[in-house]
Amino acid sequence: MKRHIVFAALAGTVAVTPALAHYGMIIPNDPMISQEDGRSLSLTMSFSHPFEMDGMMLEKPEAFTVTHEGATTDLLGDLQDATVMDDQGYTLDFPLERPGTYIFAMEPKPYWEPAEDAFIIHYTKTYVTAYGDDEGWDTELGLKTEIVPLSKPFGLWEHNVFQGIVKMDGEPVPYAEVEVEFFNDGASATAPDELMITQTVKADADGVFTYAAPSDGWWGFAALNTADYTLPQDGEEKAVELGAVIWVHFEEWTGQ
Amino acid sequence: MIRAVGLATLLAAAPLAAAAHSLVVFASVDCDAVTVEAKFSNGKVAQKGEVRVLDGENSLLTTLQLESDGTVHIPLSSVDHSQGLVIEVDTGGHDNYWIVTPEDIARKCGS
Repeated sequence: MKRHIVFAALAGTVAVTPALAHYGMIIPNDPMISQEDGRSLSLTMSFSHPFEMDGMMLEKPEAFTVTHEGATTDLLGDLQDATVMDDQGYTLDFPLERPGTYIFAMEPKPYWEPAEDAFIIHYTKTYVTAYGDDEGWDTELGLKTEIVPLSKPFGLWEHNVFQGIVKMDGEPVPYAEVEVEFFNDGASATAPDELMITQTVKADADGVFTYAAPSDGWWGFAALNTADYTLPQDGEEKAVELGAVIWVHFEEWTGQ
Repeated sequence: MIRAVGLATLLAAAPLAAAAHSLVVFASVDCDAVTVEAKFSNGKVAQKGEVRVLDGENSLLTTLQLESDGTVHIPLSSVDHSQGLVIEVDTGGHDNYWIVTPEDIARKCGS
């Protein structure tokens, strides 16, 4: 009887602390658009658990922009409502007028997460290159928090490493924790343990982290830090988790 | 529309971009002209180079030289662009191409 109670308590504990990591997502139809691909790209935005393909409500973001050749353009009004992973998301068709790197960035509205007793704001971005021109691939947008790529954030082979600097208010974050998760589109990947769904690496003293992707596909990197401010919820001030999220696509190795 | 045979031939003939720094060729279009731009992947403009303009069936229409700023203008009235244009740029060590489709012209010209 006693053993049964212990087991029930344990099961309850596990049930309320799932290993699911939240990710803002900006996924283009292709991270490298060639002239043969056409003159535009399609983007899908969501807030989800990407390994489990479990969507959450993404309210209309606070901001959605594209930066190209040093100019930032507001695209918030161009987002189209869409259902992504069975929940509210957005899509956008964007014309690519010129070559170069286009950086799409989303600042969501604060997401209240009762289970964590905190708000979540994931500043999310994805780099897309057009027409064979990668100029601008290392652009820093100056977001509240962001991962600045040290590896070109497209054109990576599977098993390559991706490196970036975690920044908060423009300054590197020493030993920042970075969660890494695979966008399990098609649900072909399975995890032998919950710990394998979201992996974690730490940055070094200069805020630089490194990760080698085991397969091709989209990989999300989320550097999570607690904001230096709080937000009110039910009459109380609550902590805010700030995420610097970047999505990087690794390509399938074509050699033998 | 550029004929599939012509395009396939061109793609097959197109040499692989040279390693280290490749040539990036792009052409924008309005109702008056095609503006060709050529630069290397390190960001430097290609200051010299031969620009070959072909029609949708890969027939050479004209040959021009890049200006020192890495661009050249091709008046639409000077070429038969009804089936699109293929713009090849050859700097000697590097070459690449851009295809101007009839849709590109129509989109910019509002016709």
